[in-house]
Amino acid sequence: MSEPRIRLRQLRKRFGARVALDGIDLDVDDRRVVGVVGPDGAGKTTLLRALAGLLEIEADQALVLGHDLRGDVTALKAAIGYVPQSFSLHRELSVIENLRFTARLHRLSEASFRRRAEALLGRTLLTPFVDRVAGALSGGMKQKLAVANALLPEPALLVLDEPTAGVDVVARGEILAILRETAARALVVTSTSYLDEAAMVDDLVYLDHGRVVASGTPEALRQHVPREVYRLWGPNARAIARTARGLAGVADARAAGRFARVEVERAAARDVAVRLRALPGAPVTLLEHVAPDMESMLRFYASA
Amino acid sequence: MSTPTITTTGLTKRFGDFTAVDALSITVPPGVIFAFLGANGSGKSTTIRMLIGLLRPTAGAITVNGIDVIREPRRVRDRIGYMGQKVSLYQGLTIRENVEFYAGLYGLAPAALTARWSALRERFGLAQVELEKPESLPAGIRQRAGLALATLHQPPVLFLDEPTAGVDVESRGLFWDVIQDEAARGVTVFVTTHFLEEVDYCDWVSFIDAGKLVADATPEDLRHRFSLGYRIEVELPAAAREAGARRLRGLGLAGLASSDAGFTGRTAQLDGPTLAALDALAVDIPEARIHIHQPPMTDVFRRVLGAEPSP
Repeated sequence: MSEPRIRLRQLRKRFGARVALDGIDLDVDDRRVVGVVGPDGAGKTTLLRALAGLLEIEADQALVLGHDLRGDVTALKAAIGYVPQSFSLHRELSVIENLRFTARLHRLSEASFRRRAEALLGRTLLTPFVDRVAGALSGGMKQKLAVANALLPEPALLVLDEPTAGVDVVARGEILAILRETAARALVVTSTSYLDEAAMVDDLVYLDHGRVVASGTPEALRQHVPREVYRLWGPNARAIARTARGLAGVADARAAGRFARVEVERAAARDVAVRLRALPGAPVTLLEHVAPDMESMLRFYASA
Repeated sequence: MSTPTITTTGLTKRFGDFTAVDALSITVPPGVIFAFLGANGSGKSTTIRMLIGLLRPTAGAITVNGIDVIREPRRVRDRIGYMGQKVSLYQGLTIRENVEFYAGLYGLAPAALTARWSALRERFGLAQVELEKPESLPAGIRQRAGLALATLHQPPVLFLDEPTAGVDVESRGLFWDVIQDEAARGVTVFVTTHFLEEVDYCDWVSFIDAGKLVADATPEDLRHRFSLGYRIEVELPAAAREAGARRLRGLGLAGLASSDAGFTGRTAQLDGPTLAALDALAVDIPEARIHIHQPPMTDVFRRVLGAEPSP
């Protein structure tokens, strides 16, 4: 088995006139969960497809598991599990038939297919549904099947494109737990737009305009944000948010239940905090100062 | 009390011997942001399709904006804006052409369309892409266009089925600003989401499981019933500890205990007087730092679904 490893230098991808990836530099050396985040159109899907050997790319260097993405990637593909954004298994085949189909493609023996399928179906809680056609599964079950299917050949690299988008909270928790377990023996690269998921990965890669804008642990990226976050508790949080949004130095303000969450540029924070205490027509009962969170981190890099 | 904008009574849909929606009764007052939640396959989309007159119920009654939806399914569609999980933009037409097409369906006059679209284009950041076709745009930008289209004719009721799925944090913020602004104008918003932190942007939340209503309350009420409540942490300098402790004891927090930095305690409901008292403490002891740990909605809903035991 090849070592989990990614080394990209100036990886570029064009679709016609549009530049999707504009010089990606990326190094990942250990088994871990890497989260790819960034605004819509940043190039997340393109990067994941490139890593999975699905695109012709240009680069100064592009090594994945020791294979050069610029050359023949047949052997690489055998070592990769890929879960695309939209469900792409065979809807008319049953759960077990889908897995068997994948097993055949990877030339698994019947014995190892049975052993692995049984384990994965148990782990994804899909055992009671083995004979249901994939098209009739719920959204959460479809995604769990897609993950199980990608894991069947025991890939050294698992690439997932928003595997939990539109998946309910329980199924989402199950998928995340599986990704964490997989990271003990493989490299997992996943994109996500959930804040709690971005917080639980080992490393984040923030993409924008086809480039890596920032990378590091979620904690390191969060601490780098030059903003202060306040929660303004009061009887009418929506009025507080609307009024706060109009203040200079306020980067974002939104009512969330009992409080309005307000992000302020750090340089102006002292002055703005005073003005937030006395918003005309929107009384604030308590001003709570909180640490920048994942939301402020993602928002900051989107605007940087 | 004002007449509800949306009501269902005993709403039921069976497909063969499978009951997708089971005697669902909900009420949505005007101007309310109503979060309609449930696990995948719980009957959410089926319910929405019945509410907007696309699917005939097996039993029950539906009223939307004064219209009997079962009797007049077509009429309701003129009064609502709808955005589905798969945004209904025509491929092959540019965003702008899609807008003109929908404006025609809604009977918007050209002058009104020009004014309305230029406002929406600005609000949703679509100026750069209006001459592009949806299939060449990222999903999040298509969603923005989809929400703009759903509000094009300024309907009094919006049905949004997972508007923020696959949308980045910046756009999600924008969507909720729009939704809250629409509600402030009196628009009723019926919305589904899988981002549970978004429930706090809404006024009311109904949760269905296997087609049945299992929770129907304000977000705050659900938090009260399905969590240990708010944990309050007050950091105090050594010199102010005693004074701070006296004040905190007066608040009646549960399980008040000293910690390394100060004190922690719990309160089931964080009411106005408690907030005001905490604020007074912070004013009188400027070195005090107050942290309010609100139970995350993700945990609340794991409990609603029984995936974790309730307190």
